[in-house]
Amino acid sequence: MANDTIFNANDQRPELEPVGYETGSLTGVFQELVFTVDHKKLGLMYIGSALLFFVVAGLLASLMRIQLAIPGNTFLPPDVFNQSFTMHGTTMVFLVGMPMAFGFANYLVPLMIGARDMAFPRLNAFGFWVFFFSGFLLYFSYIGAPGLYAAGSAPDVGWFAYSPLTSSAFSRGHSTDYWTLSLMLGGIGSVATAINILVTVFCLRCPGMTLGKLPVFVWCMLVMAFLVILAVPCLSACQIMITLDRYLGAKFFDTQAGGDAVLWQHFFWIFGHPEVYILIMPAFAITSEIIPVFSRKPIFGYPVMVAAVISIAFISLGVWAHHMFCVGMVSLANAFFVTSTLLVAIPTGIKIFNWLATMHGGKLRFELPLIFCIAFLFQFLIAGLTGVMLAVAPFDWQLSDSYFVVAHFHYILIGGLLFTIFAGIYYWYPKALGKMPHFKLGLYHFAFFTIGFHLTFLPQHFLGFLGMPRRIYTYQAERGWDEWNLISTIGVAFQAVGIVFFVANLIYSFRRGKKAGDDPWDAWSLEWTTTSPPPEYNFATLPVVKSRRPLWDAKHPDDPDWKHE
Amino acid sequence: MNNEPRNPHKVEIPQPTGWPIISAFGLTLGFAGLVTNLAITIIGVGVCIAGLVGWFLDVFPRPKHIHVPVSEPPGPQRSARSIEYLKIGERGHRMRLPVEVPPLMAGVKGGIAGAIVMAALACLWGHLKYNSIWFPVNLLSAAAVSSLAEAGASSLSQFNTTGLVVAIISHGAISIMIGLLYITLLPMLPANFQWFWGGIMTPLIWSGFLFATIRFVDPTLAQHVDWPWFIGCQIAFGMVCGYIVFKEGKVETMQSLSLAARLGIEAPEKNQ
Repeated sequence: MANDTIFNANDQRPELEPVGYETGSLTGVFQELVFTVDHKKLGLMYIGSALLFFVVAGLLASLMRIQLAIPGNTFLPPDVFNQSFTMHGTTMVFLVGMPMAFGFANYLVPLMIGARDMAFPRLNAFGFWVFFFSGFLLYFSYIGAPGLYAAGSAPDVGWFAYSPLTSSAFSRGHSTDYWTLSLMLGGIGSVATAINILVTVFCLRCPGMTLGKLPVFVWCMLVMAFLVILAVPCLSACQIMITLDRYLGAKFFDTQAGGDAVLWQHFFWIFGHPEVYILIMPAFAITSEIIPVFSRKPIFGYPVMVAAVISIAFISLGVWAHHMFCVGMVSLANAFFVTSTLLVAIPTGIKIFNWLATMHGGKLRFELPLIFCIAFLFQFLIAGLTGVMLAVAPFDWQLSDSYFVVAHFHYILIGGLLFTIFAGIYYWYPKALGKMPHFKLGLYHFAFFTIGFHLTFLPQHFLGFLGMPRRIYTYQAERGWDEWNLISTIGVAFQAVGIVFFVANLIYSFRRGKKAGDDPWDAWSLEWTTTSPPPEYNFATLPVVKSRRPLWDAKHPDDPDWKHE
Repeated sequence: MNNEPRNPHKVEIPQPTGWPIISAFGLTLGFAGLVTNLAITIIGVGVCIAGLVGWFLDVFPRPKHIHVPVSEPPGPQRSARSIEYLKIGERGHRMRLPVEVPPLMAGVKGGIAGAIVMAALACLWGHLKYNSIWFPVNLLSAAAVSSLAEAGASSLSQFNTTGLVVAIISHGAISIMIGLLYITLLPMLPANFQWFWGGIMTPLIWSGFLFATIRFVDPTLAQHVDWPWFIGCQIAFGMVCGYIVFKEGKVETMQSLSLAARLGIEAPEKNQ
């Protein structure tokens, strides 16, 4: 574990040679990144890699939208279209969403709880590199899927790879194996990082930081780590089963040989639905930090917020079969999963109410992080409402596998997760790099991306109602889908411009941005007590915490929070 | 977090190491070989084992650390702004907590008393208009009893055991529910006019709601109901129920306690 002992300069123990610290050159930076076990560098590496994969996944999505812009288009052949949606979905979930969560957790959790590093720094580095290499393994399929000696082909079975499509009879070559093996590999890294987060939060909190004083951000990451440990092994288990099916003649998912193809769906969604909450937890975490700071009020209903997060995680473990209403389950199963899914709306609604109540009566500062968070609130509400609609089995029977579902989950993952990721990056950018993000560039980013997002995904609700199935690579004209598809594709162009502004802002602000200072937002949690960027050891002396807003206490010694909590 | 400068000292942090990336790379090769060439798997497993051994030697018998000189940053600036807290009830404070409410039993008693008065008035109306006290009873139960729903005025004037039982249950249950609503709602309404809210406004709102929906719930009642009498009965219910609810007094709620105390996880503190 990371040692928290502060040494006296007179300590006579022999110094060890630092490894990989030839700073000042590109080689030095490269060496530092390869050898580092510092949670902050690893956190930034997670976020940087996730952004890289995000650009790749975004390009794949753009290709698909170009193909669907007009009816009867031949821009992409059908097999490439299938590979594109499979790689887009897999990349966004496993190589963008989860690493983003781990990146933010890695960078911020030790700082927020007053620790010097994660509990297992070397395991932390291992987790990152396993994730990073798993991404390469997945994309290597474009070159080597049928074996090194033939042309490659990427996985094309969708991100949830339903049986029997993945059986060796229907999925020739190794493309599905690349999907399976890379996700299994990534799963090892995810579980390692999740364990690290749990142990760090439970064992390395600074004096006074009881569970009741943890920032809501840390609570969300804690719950996310629990979900990863519970859910990801289920995916790994069924991936081992499918590999056995494909190569060793096992029949787990072979219905003709006594297996059950639906079993795959159960296994996958036992992982898959908690996975949705694994992805949305960082959104809750980031929003719960940003809204209070920019409303100049403590978060409304802290205990209820924490209870809601835990409830959401708990309920999310029992809702998986709402993805399977069309399979033909018995009525009792349908009724159970409808009810349990509807239950999620209660704690989620509580969270939205509490964020609004935090803003209500507050002195709002419309900086970039808050602007993105407000957009998140609207979009996440829409996503939640369409989620409630899809939770009702008869409604789902009509719209399952239609573009309505695509619109719904993109409102969650883009409108919910990605907007808060942007908010989080703008919020902690000054802390991580010591420079303020450029406000105007950020505003352009927000405007273009928000307009583009709604142009792209709002029409997809209508396309779903009009009967357009997902995953089709083209369609006939005169079905009423043409205009909506065209608008949807135009929206992608707006989003792309927004992303260009975002990347430009990151680079420009790093090179020419104003110096941030240690606490540019006048915030309250512990990461703002140290320098920007923080030193390797985080805190010169470990802080002692008395309330949920330790920096507030330090700045207002005459009226500290602990007197009121 | 004080502002006093400290002497420079050192902190030990984990030594940077390449073994995790070597282990991860070996593991990846191990997986990649399964779909390319088994030789790659063998090499990968070898690299992974080498990485793990190196890692093990990094942390055994004790983890390798480096010592980094530390300087204390200046502490946070004391804020020039001061805070004033609004008190509950003060102008601008948006919180309105029902710190005292009538007891639950007051709602039950009020509901039952109101139900009796309302039923008596309804029977009086039936006696005056149809010469039968059973007419309003059967009208009410027609929502659930199909034979009464299809019956004419003469049949509705006859005594019907099923009708009586259904009417008592439904009227009693709804009245008790309204009584419980009274104890919840009335403390939230302006204190000076509670007789008006409880005795007049709530019955009128309830009557309006029924006026809009009764034809869907009980078409027979909608066909025969005499609205002035009906509203009079509702107001009588509200007056009696409200009077009993107020007469019973109030008890303290746990609104001023923390959530943990309200859930019974922690004992309430004395000063709370």
